[in-house]
Formats: sequence, structure tokens, C-alpha cells
Amino acid sequence: MPAESAVASPSRAGGGLGLTLLVSEITVLFRRLRTWAMIGALALIPILIAVVVRVSSDGSASGRGPAFLNSITQNGLFVSLTALTVAIPLFLPLTIGVVAGDTIAGEANLGTLRYLLVAPAGRVRLLLVKYAGAALFCFVATLTVVVTGAIIGALLFPVGPVTLLSGDTVGIPGYFVRLLLLALYVTVSLMGLSAIGLFISTLTTIPVGAMAATAALAAVAQILGALPQLEWLHPWLFTNYWLGFADLLREPIVWNSFADNALLQLGYIAVFGTLAYGRFSTKDILS
Amino acid sequence: MNKNWRWLPAGIVPVVIVAAAVSGSAVAEAQPQLPAKTAQELLEFVATGADDAYSGTVEQSSNLGLPDMAGVATPPGGTSSSDPTSAALELLTGEHTAQIYVDGTDRARVQVLDQLAERDVVINENDAWYYDSRSNEATHAVLPDKDATRAQLEAKLQQKAAEYPELQNVPRTPAELAQTFLATIDPSTEVTVDGTSRVAGRSAYQLLLTPEDSATLIGSIAVSVDSETGVPLSVSIEAKGQEEAAFTAGFSAVDFTTPDPAIFQFTPPADATVTEAPTADEARAKLEATPEAMPAEAPEKPDIIGEGWSTIVELPAGSAAGLGLNLGSGEAAGMGEIMEIKPGMDPEDVAGAGALLEQALTEVDGGRALQTSLVSVLVTDDGRILAGAVGVDQLVAASQQ
Amino acid sequence: MSVGDYAIETHGLTKAFGRQKAVDDVDLAVPRGTVFGFLGPNGSGKTTTIRMLLGLAAASSGEIRLLDGGMPKHARTVLPRVGALVEGPAIYPFLSGRANLQRFDAADRHTSPATRNARVDAALERVGLSHAATKRAHAYSLGMKQRLGIANALLAPRDLLILDEPTNGLDPQGTREVRHLIKSLSDDGTTIFVSSHLLAEVEQMCSMIAVMSAGRLVAQGTLDELRSGGTARVRVTTPDFADAHRVLSGLGLTPELHGRDDVITAELSVQGLLPESVNAALVRADVRVRGFEASGASLEDRFVALTGEGFDVAG
Repeated sequence: MPAESAVASPSRAGGGLGLTLLVSEITVLFRRLRTWAMIGALALIPILIAVVVRVSSDGSASGRGPAFLNSITQNGLFVSLTALTVAIPLFLPLTIGVVAGDTIAGEANLGTLRYLLVAPAGRVRLLLVKYAGAALFCFVATLTVVVTGAIIGALLFPVGPVTLLSGDTVGIPGYFVRLLLLALYVTVSLMGLSAIGLFISTLTTIPVGAMAATAALAAVAQILGALPQLEWLHPWLFTNYWLGFADLLREPIVWNSFADNALLQLGYIAVFGTLAYGRFSTKDILS
Repeated sequence: MNKNWRWLPAGIVPVVIVAAAVSGSAVAEAQPQLPAKTAQELLEFVATGADDAYSGTVEQSSNLGLPDMAGVATPPGGTSSSDPTSAALELLTGEHTAQIYVDGTDRARVQVLDQLAERDVVINENDAWYYDSRSNEATHAVLPDKDATRAQLEAKLQQKAAEYPELQNVPRTPAELAQTFLATIDPSTEVTVDGTSRVAGRSAYQLLLTPEDSATLIGSIAVSVDSETGVPLSVSIEAKGQEEAAFTAGFSAVDFTTPDPAIFQFTPPADATVTEAPTADEARAKLEATPEAMPAEAPEKPDIIGEGWSTIVELPAGSAAGLGLNLGSGEAAGMGEIMEIKPGMDPEDVAGAGALLEQALTEVDGGRALQTSLVSVLVTDDGRILAGAVGVDQLVAASQQ
Repeated sequence: MSVGDYAIETHGLTKAFGRQKAVDDVDLAVPRGTVFGFLGPNGSGKTTTIRMLLGLAAASSGEIRLLDGGMPKHARTVLPRVGALVEGPAIYPFLSGRANLQRFDAADRHTSPATRNARVDAALERVGLSHAATKRAHAYSLGMKQRLGIANALLAPRDLLILDEPTNGLDPQGTREVRHLIKSLSDDGTTIFVSSHLLAEVEQMCSMIAVMSAGRLVAQGTLDELRSGGTARVRVTTPDFADAHRVLSGLGLTPELHGRDDVITAELSVQGLLPESVNAALVRADVRVRGFEASGASLEDRFVALTGEGFDVAG
């Protein structure tokens, strides 16, 4: 048909990168009360830990409880680490499950998905933007725990140079660099789960279902990871390196976990990203 | 209108990942071509490698046929148990990763990377440090001369780690391990160069030590030696009648550049409990000053029965009691004492470790025995302890002589 | 410009869900510049057809051309020129009306962020929502949501508007406003494709019509063409009842009585006979005509015949 040439004409404004859509996605995500409720709940973890330790502090380090707990009374900056250790297995996956499970299913449920696609957002572009939004949430969620922990720790306890696992000591600026790296590590750790959530989200129009399934998978993976009988499976579980962030608290920093973790998460992103693409690009939007 | 091709990437990606994983290990298994060396040449080559500077990651795993303690001793992200016995059992049964930095013969650092914790050994020209992040305890020793302090540190480590001196507990540098094994070579052992292999991406010669003693549990010991530097890269010990290696330790990554000198300096954290280990001279002086304070039964010398690979060490009566073992009655209640229960320790940990130890011990004629795939330990009803790299029946026979 | 004559063109468009055909072999041809009514009872396949036109659902078979490009292949270049309201408005309840529109506008990579606020405000103004622009959308009434949905379709200059039941949930005033809006947009040269289950609405707004029934396209053409397929009626109110009856019979019509002595109706069953000619004949015969009504309500009869279902004639 001779009219094909006319098709390419309507380039009104540039910006095919999807940056505006990404900004919009982030704005919408952080304008939701739910998002702030989750961030607030995450911020509550270090606050709760710090307050409980402060109130019940009688100087007897029992050797029980989560890692780094006993160091808090000497150095408030350890609140961040204790809170992270507590948040990683349960609370962070839960909130990531909510955000990642909601990505596509939430829009489908509201019906806004059809208007985004008719705009046209482009299905692949929308998928990428949604994933980027979930990734950003991972980082913000992790940073919330870390930063709130540092603040509340500084308020309630003495702070000072921090003892690393290797017994060496770093100053406060050096420690904050490590905390930032730590937040990055945990964010990377959650990228695989986010990709799984994104895929599940393309399967349904009921966001709660996708959220629950994603969070449940995180729990299942951790249970499998705790079974010594399944040791052959462990290196393939996306939760395998979740507590490996401690490698960033050694001197010198051991990057093996970071690299292995990144590679593993990349694998999950590739597998579930392409699955999400396969599903979403062939899906009839009937909601 | 067929859009099924959009599912194609989802089909291809897992295949690519699996292929990459498989070919990755295939590359690792490919045997490099190296000029032939005799066992003698290879041993000399190893000796020249002693002054090298390098760093790397060592993976150690043991498969001694003991029940897995990892889950009990250190619940994920949870309770830190610095109790030496359970720590030793945990080291014996689990898999461990250590970061190793070596600069010549007098500067080294070993970091045992535990989950959310670390144990460090730092050695430099003047000092030796042991630091445990879980208990936040540091032990310091001044090095008057290298060899003595190393021996002391060794002793301290042994004491820290376990009451089973025969068992390797803390992974050390492959060089150290290989040298330990090479030192025991005598006519009872066949030493051969068994081809080549790849370790941590480097080509290596494979040194094989095969005991010619049918009584020992040790099947063979293989040492991989880096073809360029002569640094031992991995050690694995095969047990007779067990398909999997009983013990392996080797570099998963190694770097032959000189590590940052700052790594070998250690200042204990301000809030850590620091114990000063006496120097060799101080210890001797102390011993001489207070002879009556020493327990009467302790200084008795152990008996050595047999020779070579099937040597049996016998500790005289009273040793078991001295170690807190009270197994003569065969009651599990005595097991608690070996754990050095401290106030504040999780009773579940104690009970769990005790139960596992109980599980590991079997009743034999005249006592109770611990049988692993490499070594056996027998605690007789009259309180003697016999141990060796032989079967329990041989220990029983030796105990009855 | 022979190829660009149609804004929407489909050939053999079919959508099957399992063995059920929701849309069966539909050949639509919507000329540019028209206000095109897409009429059919609920469940006749209108919305499914629209979903396929917009690339939301894949056709089981058949071809679609939208403006200058095939769908869904050229969705990227075609859809920015198409404004749509599909199966009612959809909103982010936690965002304001304005933020909702900004969100949808950002989804189109061709729109300029620089002009976004101005365009959003203009669209809100156009549908009369300016006063509620900053209000959270979950507090909007059904009618306000509908207006917001229409505003979304008007965010950028469009060559084609696809409006699925645009007057749903609107009060009579709102319905009138929408009708006005459509007329003014049409005057600007925009092609407008309006789906509705309301015959009266389509009749008032549209110059062309297509009728769906049970997934099939049963009729397509101008209003007049469709009317001519049926018959118009005249209704005469007169005190001279007998005379009127005589005149109508004389014109070859079959007068129908309604039990009243002053009303008489007849189908214009004679070819070429126009209502005005009937009136002239009555006047010539000195019949005092108190009321004369020519009704195209026959269109309704026509659709009942086509679809086998009645239409909701009232707004």
C-alpha cells in the first residue's frame, strides 16, 4: 500500500527514551499513600530496635538476638545493620512484593493500563519503566532502613568509629560509604525478586494475588535455602546471597558476594524479564 | 497474527544460562598442557614458592561423615555462638570460605568469612592477632621470633577451636597445608605427579600422595601446585571407601600481586576484649615459678602406638576428665560439660550441640568412639583417649593391649 | 489521496475467545471527517472491536488500518494521533484530575513535556472540569470521571477520536455538552467514531452509522441510506378526519387509525413520496391540519429488524 510512507510522519517531540514516562511512574508511585505507609513501616524497624535496646539496656550482652544487636549500645551506627538483618528476610521482600506485584496487575485492575497503552506507552517501554520504578523502590526502601537506623542510633546511643567484622575500624565517613554500598547490595539482591513480581503481575488483573504470590515465593526460596538436603539448589536461589552483604563490612571489602549476587540476579532478571515480555507483549488487555 | 515468537526470548535465555554454566565448568575442567616434572622437581618448585606474595579466596569443605552442625550452631542471621566446641564442629562439618593475604613468609592474614561474622588471623613481623567478631575478642601475641610465635598461635588456635588436635579446624593457606602434608612424607608414602589441572583459572601440577599403609583411613592426598609460582593452590584428601573427598581446601580465586601492606596491620577495636598471650619466655618462666600449681595428671606424655599413616596417639587416663569429658558412664548428661556452658548461652544451642555430639558417638567395646571418614577417636571407659587416622576397631584393639 | 479516504478500515476482522466469536468478519469503513456512529446492543462486540482497533487486543484474523497505518504494527506512529475513550474512563483514584491527565500524557512519547501543563488545562477546560482539576479523582462523580476520560482523549491534537459510549453517566446537560463538543471537533476536521447503544444519540450526532449485532456488522452507511431501507411515517392531527383519510388513501397510502377521531397516521410506502408532498395535498383538499409530523422513527423499526432487539430510545 502506497500510504506506508506517511506513517512515519508524526514526530511531534523527541524523547523516545521513556524518561518522561519514568518520571511519571516514579511520581505516581511516590504519591501513593500505600508507598509511604510501607516506607514508614520499614523506618519503624530500626526505630523499634533502637528504642527497645535503649529501654532495656542493662549492659549485659547476652549473645542472643540478631547480628550486631550487642554492638548497638557501644555504637548507635550499628542500628542500621541490625535493622537490615531483620528487614532482609521478611519486611523488604514483603514491600517489594507489593510494589512489583502491583506493576502491571495494578494498572490493569484500575483500567488505566489500556489508556497507557493507547497513549501509546509501548508495551516493552512500559514494562521497562515499571521495572525501573520497582528497582528504585527497592533502593529507597533499603536506604530508609539504613538512614533511619543511623539517625535513631545517633540520637539514642554514642556514635564513633565503627568496628568492621575483620576487627579493623573505619571512621564515620568511611562507614557511610559502606552503608551506601550496603544499600546498593541489598537493592541488587532484590532485583531478581522484582523481576519475578513483574512477571507474575503480567499474569493477572488482581494485584493482591500477584503481591501475595511474589512475597510467598521469597519465603519459599528462603525455606529451601535453609534445607541442607537441597544444597545443590542453593546457588540457584535468588535469596542465596541476601545476607552476604556482610562482605562489605570486611576490610578489605570482599567483592565476591557482590559479583556472584549481581550475576545471579542478572540471571533472574533475564529469565523473568523475557517471560514478562513474552506474556505482556502477547496479552489481550481486556480490563 | 501469530505473535508466539515473542515468547522466544523466554525460551532461549534459560538455555543460554544453562549452557554458560555448563561450558564454564567445562573450561575449568580442561587439563592444561605443561612441561613434565618429576615429583622431586615439583617439591622443590613448591619450596621456592614460599616467599611469594599473593592473595585470594579459599574455599574449604569437609565431608567427614559427621552430622551437619551448620544449621544448629549458627542459625541464619541469628545467634552467634562463640562456644569453641560447637564452633569446631561447625567448622568440621560445613563449608567455609576464607580470604587469604600472604606477603612472603612473615606477613599473612586469614579471614574466615562467616555469615555476618568473621574470624581473623593477622601475622606481621612483630605481632600475631586472632580476632573473633562474634565474641568481639582479640588475642595478641608479640613475636620474638617467627617460628615460636607461629607455634604459639597454632596452640592458641587449637585451644580456641576444639579439643580434637588431630582434626584440621581453621583453614590455613594452601601453602601451609601442603607443607604440613609434605613434611609427613616418609617411605610409607608414594609421591607422584598426577597430571595437570586448572585451579582458580590457573594451570597447576597435581601432586599425589598415596599411603602404602592399608590400615589408614586416608586414601590419598592431592595437592595442586601453581605451574608458574609453585604456590600450592588446592589440597584435597580422599578417604577410603568414600566417593566424595573428605576434605578439600583450595583457591577459587587467586591474585599474585603484593597485597596492600595495611592489610597486615591490626589494631583491635576499642571495645574488644584483648587477651595478651604470654611469650614463649614468659610462659616458661611462669611454669618454673609455680610448679605446684600445675595439675598433677596433665604433664603426662601421650603414648604413640604404631608409625606412619596408622599412628595412634593415646592420652593417658584422666585426660578425658581434664577435658570435661565424662563419657565412661555413657550418659549424655556429661556431654554438656564439653561445651563450656557459659551464662547467657542459648540452652537450645547447648542441647542441640550436645545431642549432635551424642549422635556422633557410638558405643563400642570398652568405651565410646567417634568415627569420621578420616580419623577416629576412642574414649575408653577408664578415661583414656585414643585417636588416629585408622578405623575404630584398630583403636579398640590398641586400647586393649 | 485515494488511500487516505478512510480513517478506519477493517477487513474480515474477527476475534474468537475459544470457540465463541465475539467479533465475526467485520468490514468497517469510516470515511475521514465524518462523525461515525457505531451502534449495537450491549454485548454485540462493539468494545471488542474498538480494543482491536487500538491494538489492546490481537485480532484472531483480519486486517485493520487506522489513519495511515496498519494496526497493531504501526501503533507507535498511529496511536499518538488517535484519542480514545474505551469502555468508560479509568483513573488513578489517589491522583487529582490534572495529575491523572499528566500521567496519561507522559505515556505518549511524542508529546512535549514543555506544553504538557497547558494542554492538560485546555483539555480540562474543554470538558468543563477546570474547577475540579486539583481534586482527588476518587471524589469525582460518575459524570466527572466520564468528562475526565474524554479530556484524556483530547490531550493532543487528534486526527481520529474513538469514543466508546461517551455520554455514559452524564446528565442531560452533560450529554448536550458532549454532543456540542463532538460537533465542534468534527468541524475542526477530526474524524469521530462514536460507539453507543443509544439510537437517539447516534441519530443526533452522526452522519454515518454502522450497526453491530451478535458480533456481526449488519448494516453500514449514511443515515439517509439506512432510513431509505425502511419507511418514514406521517402523523396528521386534524378535525377533518374523514377528509384526511380520503386524501391519504388517494395518495396510495394506507391510513391507520388510533381510536381517536383527530389523529391519523400512515407509512410513506409510496416510492418517492415525501412528507411535504403529503402535507401539500392535505392543504389543497382544504383539510384543516392542526398538527403534521413526519417521523424518521422508522429508523428504529429498521434497527429492530436488523438486530432483533429494541433500542433504548430515550436518552
